Parts: sequence; C-alpha cells; structure tokens
Amino acid sequence: MANSRLEKIGTIYTRTKGLIDSGALKWIDRPLWYDLYEAFPPKEEPRFDREAFKKPIRNIFYEDDKIRALFHRNNKRLESQYQGEANAEKLYKEAIEMMSKERATRKEDDFISLSTEFKEAQNKDSKVTKVSLKNIFES
Amino acid sequence: MMASRPILHLRYILPRINLKYSTAIQPSEVIEGKQETADLKHPDYFNVRNLFTVNDLFEARVHYGHKIGSLDERMSQYIYGNRLGHLIFDLDITAEYLRQALNITAHTAYRDGVILFFLRGAQNAHIVEKAALECGEFAHTRFWRGGIFTNANKQFGEATRLPDLCIFFNTLNNVLIQHTAIRDAAKMAIATIGVVDTNCNPNLITYPVPGNDDSPVAIQFYCKVFKSAILLGKEKRKEHHNRNKQ
Repeated sequence: MANSRLEKIGTIYTRTKGLIDSGALKWIDRPLWYDLYEAFPPKEEPRFDREAFKKPIRNIFYEDDKIRALFHRNNKRLESQYQGEANAEKLYKEAIEMMSKERATRKEDDFISLSTEFKEAQNKDSKVTKVSLKNIFES
Repeated sequence: MMASRPILHLRYILPRINLKYSTAIQPSEVIEGKQETADLKHPDYFNVRNLFTVNDLFEARVHYGHKIGSLDERMSQYIYGNRLGHLIFDLDITAEYLRQALNITAHTAYRDGVILFFLRGAQNAHIVEKAALECGEFAHTRFWRGGIFTNANKQFGEATRLPDLCIFFNTLNNVLIQHTAIRDAAKMAIATIGVVDTNCNPNLITYPVPGNDDSPVAIQFYCKVFKSAILLGKEKRKEHHNRNKQ
C-alpha cells in the first residue's frame, strides 16, 4: 500500500487524505478508521508538533486543612518533647487534646476582645458626639 | 497476527461492512466520497455512555497523577490541580475523552477491525492479556521488537494484516520513554487510543484518555470498559448479520 511514513508531518488523517485525493490510494482501500475519524474527529489534532496548551496548575486546598496543619504542628512539638520515646497512638491522642484546648482558649479570647472593643467603641461614641436626641429636629 | 492462538470465528463468518470485500453492499451501491451510514450519524450508536460513571472513575483511582516535577506540559490542560505535590486529573474531562475512545472502539469492532491491546510492565500485563482473550482480540505486553509493524511482511514471511486500532493502557515502556509502537502506528497510519498519565506525551495518540496508568485497579477498570465496548460492537454486528440473512 502506498503510504507516507513521516509521522512528524501532519496527522494520520491528513496523510491518508492526501493519498486519496491525489489518487495514489483508492477510496475503497481506505483504512477502517477513516470514516470514523471523519464522523468523530478527535478533540485535538494528533500532530507530533502540537504546542502545549499552557494552563497554570492551581493548588487544591480545603477548609479543614487548617485543622490538619494545627494537628501536625502539635504532633511535631510533642515528638521533639518525648524524643522518640512515646508511641504513635499516645502522640496522636495528646496532639488532639492539645488542639481542642487551643481552640477552646482561642474562642474565649476572641469573645473577650470583641466585647471589650465593643464597649470601648460605645464609650468613644458618647464622648465625641454629644447630640441629644430630643433636640434633633430643633435648630 | 501477534498470537498463535485461534481467533474468534466471527471474523470469518460475518461480512466486512462498507469496505472493499463487503457482501452487504452491492458494487453499484458504493459511492465514492463521504458515506454517512446510520451508525455514524448517531452520536452514541452502541450506548457506550452508560458503561461507566464519573464515580466509577474515582473509585478506580483514575484521578491520581504523578508528582508535579515529572509533569509533561502537554498534559496540563487535563489536570484539575496540585494536591500537596501530587497532580490530580479532572475526571469530567477524562470521562469525555474516555467515552469518545470507547465509541471509536465499539465502531471498530462493529466494522470487524483487528484491535490490539498494549501494556508494558509485568504487574498488570496478565490483566490485559486476559481481557483481550475474553473479547476475542489481541494483546502485546512484552518487549517490542522493532519492525513488527514497519517491517511486518519480512518479519512474518507473509503478507500481514496489521491491526486497525491500537489501545495502549500505558504509553511508556519500562525505561520511561515512549513505547515505540506509538511511533510505528503513526508511521503505518493506524489509529491509536492511549491512556496518558501526567508524565506522558499525548501528541501522537489519535484518541488520548488522560488518567492514571499505574494502579492495577485502574488498569482493571480500563480493561473492563474497553472489553464491554468491543463486545457491544460485535453483538450489534452479529445482530445485523442475522437480519441480513433472513
């Protein structure tokens, strides 16, 4: 069968089509995939020299990765504390305990700081603007 | 052409459809140029769309790629993202490409094409050989001697019919360079389907399928779907042949 073996030029379809169009290959002798290729062409042309479609690769992170990071930090700290004497199960339990403690204390802190800030803001407001509501429409 | 075992007899019983030696079409009916038959007009004639779901892909661990350092830039369009240094495939894209590949496989089986499975690597070779046996097609999972395609007539000492479709379950050989059969198939104008991992080059493959090519579970999954696509095509062929007989 007449054929071009230069796989780096064009695609299998363009090479075969060229042979058929020029009459070197009879249409009835076409390869079996030829009709399929025409009916269902591939999404990208299978060319040897097709340029890469450069899509930036994004990182995949989830919300709960923060918890994981906290857990592993505690785990590391405990490991250095025990210096390889504690077994994995013990480290795991203690790291979870530490994490839950940390989270509990932080919540309280947040609550306290929020309430104090709110009070301070209220005080400021009353100091700076001395507007009596009664006289608001009289002026 | 590869194996010495007897091939499925269907191939000799049934006529070739729409090609030179077809008995289904009278010579006067053959019209030169584009010929649209009912099966080619239909977007999914063999219903291969229902062979798997995206969840099946996920459970077969098709989404796992290699580490980011080994990425081939030409694969970046199929990738969902980088999870702590490992690349993850976008399974929606994979499903789309796999469905097209399955459709082509079923059509090739329907038209009595010879289909050849490829895989390098001893771990999964047996799965692929078994799948090929079960659907009456061929497998080549051993060292690729150069010239099997390009010098076939000399090597086999006879005029040899080459396969009509090559399906690669991995496209790298065991020293991690591209399988020579991909280049040779392109040389001999043979259509190819290939599962391409993140460290592979999809350019020369006619119908690439982005996905994991290392896990046995993933290879089992690919074998299962491609086998069922081939059997669907052959079943339809048998059905139409019986109808023509009556």
